[in-house]
Formats: sequence, structure tokens, C-alpha cells
Amino acid sequence: MNESPYCGNTDALTSYLYEEGTAAERLAFEAHLRQCERCAAEAASLRAVRVDMAAWTPPETVLDFRIVREPAQSTSRWGWMSTMPAWAQLAAASLVVGVAAGLSGLDVQYGSDGLIVRTGWSRPAGTRPAGDAAASAAAGDDAPWRTELAALREQIQTELSQNASAPTAVPASAGAAGGSEAMSDDAFLARVKQLIEASEARTQREMALRLTEMVREMDTQRRADMRRVADGLGVLEGRTGAVTAQQREVMNYLMKVSQRQ
Amino acid sequence: MTVTDEELVARSVAGDTDSFNQLILRWERPIYALAYRQLGREDDARDVVQDAFLRAFRALPGFKGEAKFSSWLYRITLNLCRDVMRRAKRAPFVQTPEGVDIADLVPSGTPAAESMEDVVARKDLSRHVARAMSLLPEEQRSAIILKEYHGLTFHEIAELQGCPLSTVKTRLYQGLTVVRRELDRQGRGPAGAESRTP
Repeated sequence: MNESPYCGNTDALTSYLYEEGTAAERLAFEAHLRQCERCAAEAASLRAVRVDMAAWTPPETVLDFRIVREPAQSTSRWGWMSTMPAWAQLAAASLVVGVAAGLSGLDVQYGSDGLIVRTGWSRPAGTRPAGDAAASAAAGDDAPWRTELAALREQIQTELSQNASAPTAVPASAGAAGGSEAMSDDAFLARVKQLIEASEARTQREMALRLTEMVREMDTQRRADMRRVADGLGVLEGRTGAVTAQQREVMNYLMKVSQRQ
Repeated sequence: MTVTDEELVARSVAGDTDSFNQLILRWERPIYALAYRQLGREDDARDVVQDAFLRAFRALPGFKGEAKFSSWLYRITLNLCRDVMRRAKRAPFVQTPEGVDIADLVPSGTPAAESMEDVVARKDLSRHVARAMSLLPEEQRSAIILKEYHGLTFHEIAELQGCPLSTVKTRLYQGLTVVRRELDRQGRGPAGAESRTP
């Protein structure tokens, strides 16, 4: 009977197998193995298992991911607008301002008190607060905007009179107007309407132009993406071909070996 | 001079993503090997590697450096592997299909000097070891993998597994004996077949 404390001591055997523990412990255990056949066989057997285990390797794989910091995400609900082209942002902003001005009944005045901006939401239509009237009185007839408005009116009237002979230039009512003040107002309104229509037509043309540009940009991008996808597929096909060739080679080898046997 | 893990961690914490990518380059293979041996599936292992590094990156500010970065990463990986196994509610290893997987016989990393016969024998043995390891309880398998393939000390494994040192040794010994029995049963193990005792 072996009375060594190492006999059947799996803790000591494991430390010995993995070469952990002190040098003194190792020496003592080796001395025991020289005397105990059973423990020596067990140690050799487990060492052989460890050698076999080295054959277990994971398959080759591609590990090519990396951490990439994305640009800080905008928390604003309008953050998506930052991806739009500058012209589209400008157009959108103009549209919003225009619609807002129209809905709110925007009233912009420039007087001795400086620039005054009011919206229709703050007062009923057609009414003016006392302060407003006072401001208007203080502004007087010589306020710059009045002068400018009068100049514009005169310019339009001149144009109308010059184009009186042209049948399509002004509405029929304006043509029969002569020089009367009432008819002149109608002509003025018609001219304004005409200008607005022209402006709308111009805006529509611009929008159409921008849309065409956008479509062209998208088409270019799509073509580039398709090219990239096609390139990727080409690479994939190449790889698949290589794997198939390898498999064929191995099959041939196995066939030869089996024929030999 | 090689930059240490600790230095790369410090730089990563300061916001240097490239330093963390260097850590990924340094550790992705061992982490993949650990995950693969735990799970037995290449695609699962790849997912775990990616998740492990992402988790580590996010948790980096909380990493106090009390343990080695690699130990910390191993812990994250083992936890993720456990989650995968639990979620899938399946045996940790998918049974290897019967017969030889021809496509697997000639991996790209095969050394040129290794003959085809050697490749076939090694792959065969590898599959038998994998099958034997799949029979082990998770703790024994983890202990053996960490010791055999990652060279962790008993103490490091004990810390990772949250158990006493003696338990680690017991798990290793019991695991090895189960693998030995299984390899013998399969008639495998050319390295030590003649030296093994029943």
C-alpha cells in the first residue's frame, strides 16, 4: 500500500499536469510517480489526452468588424433636414415662411418707430388699435414706404398706358378705362394679379428644374450602387469558384485513395 | 515597443476609437476561438465576438482595471455564450454531421508541409475531441477551454468562474477523464492510445 499523500490526489495531479504549483511540490510529485505505477500511468494517459485536444481548432473565419464612431445624431425633429441639399432647405424655408405669413395675415410696417411686424392673429381683420393709428399718424404721408408705393403705382400705370393697344396685355376692363381713377384701380389690381401669376409660373418652373436635378442625382447614385453590387457579386462568384475547385481537388484525391484500396 | 492592453484601454476611454480597434485586432482571434469552442457553431461564435467587443466598448468607462482586460473580455464572452445557449435551448454543440465534410478538409490556413493524410487525420481527431467536449457540463468545458487553449492560470479561471481554486482543479480533472473515456470509446487518440490505462 502506498502511503504517499500524492497517491490518488487529483488536485496534485492536475497541478502537475498543468505545471502549476511550486517547484518543490513538482519535485515531490515526480518522486511519487517514480514509485507509483498507477499514478504514473494516470498522469501519462491524461497528458496524452491533452496532446489530442490540441487538434481541436476552430474553423478559419473572417473577423473584420471594427468600431466606428458615427457622427452625433441630431436630436431635433428637424435633424433630417440637414441631409437635404442647401437649395432644397432654402426652398422649404421660403415655403414655410410664405405659408405662415399668409395664414397669419402678416402686416409689416416701417415708420419712425422702426420696423413693426404684426400678425392678423393679434387683432380682428379691418380693425386697428389706437396705438397703431397713432403710429400711422406719426408716420405721416412722407413715410418712405408710401413714397415707394406711389412710385410703383405710377410705374404700373405708365406700363398699362403704353400697352393699351396690345389686346392681351391688360384685362378688357382696363382697356375701356381711359384715364379715370376707378378704372385705373382695376387695372392696378389686374397688373398685380398678372405679376403674381408670373411669379407663380416662375416658381413652378424652378421647382420642375430642381425636381429634374434631383431625379438625375438619384439616377446617378442608383447606377453607382448597381455597379458596386455587380462588382461585389463578381468577387463572390470568384470565391465560390475557388472553393469549388478545392472541393473538386479533394474529391479527386479521395477517389484515387479509394481506388487504391 | 508594443503598447500594452492597459494603455490601449486608457486611450479608448479617452475617446480614441482606433486604440480600441487595436484591442479588437489583438483579441478577436482568441475570443472567437473561445466562443466557437463553447458554442460549436461558427456563425454563433462570430456574433458573440462582435457582441462581446461592442459590450466591452460601451462598458469601457466602467472598467476599473482591477482585472486584466483579457479576463474581463473572457468574462463578457462566456456570459454571452451562456445567453446564446440558454436562448437556443439546445445542446451547446450541434452534432457534427456523419461522414467527412470535404469542404472543411482543406482550410485556407493549412500548412503547406502537412500532407493530405495528416489533414484528414487531424480534422477527424478535432471532430472527435469536439464531440467529447460537448458531453461536458458547461463549467467543466469552460475550465478546460480556458486552461488548454487560452493558458489561463487556475487562479484566473477561479476568478472568472467565481469558485474556489480546488473546484477549478476538480473540474479540469473530471473533464479530462470524461474526454479520455469518450476518445477511447471512439477508438481515437493516436497520440496517447498506447499509454492510456482503462
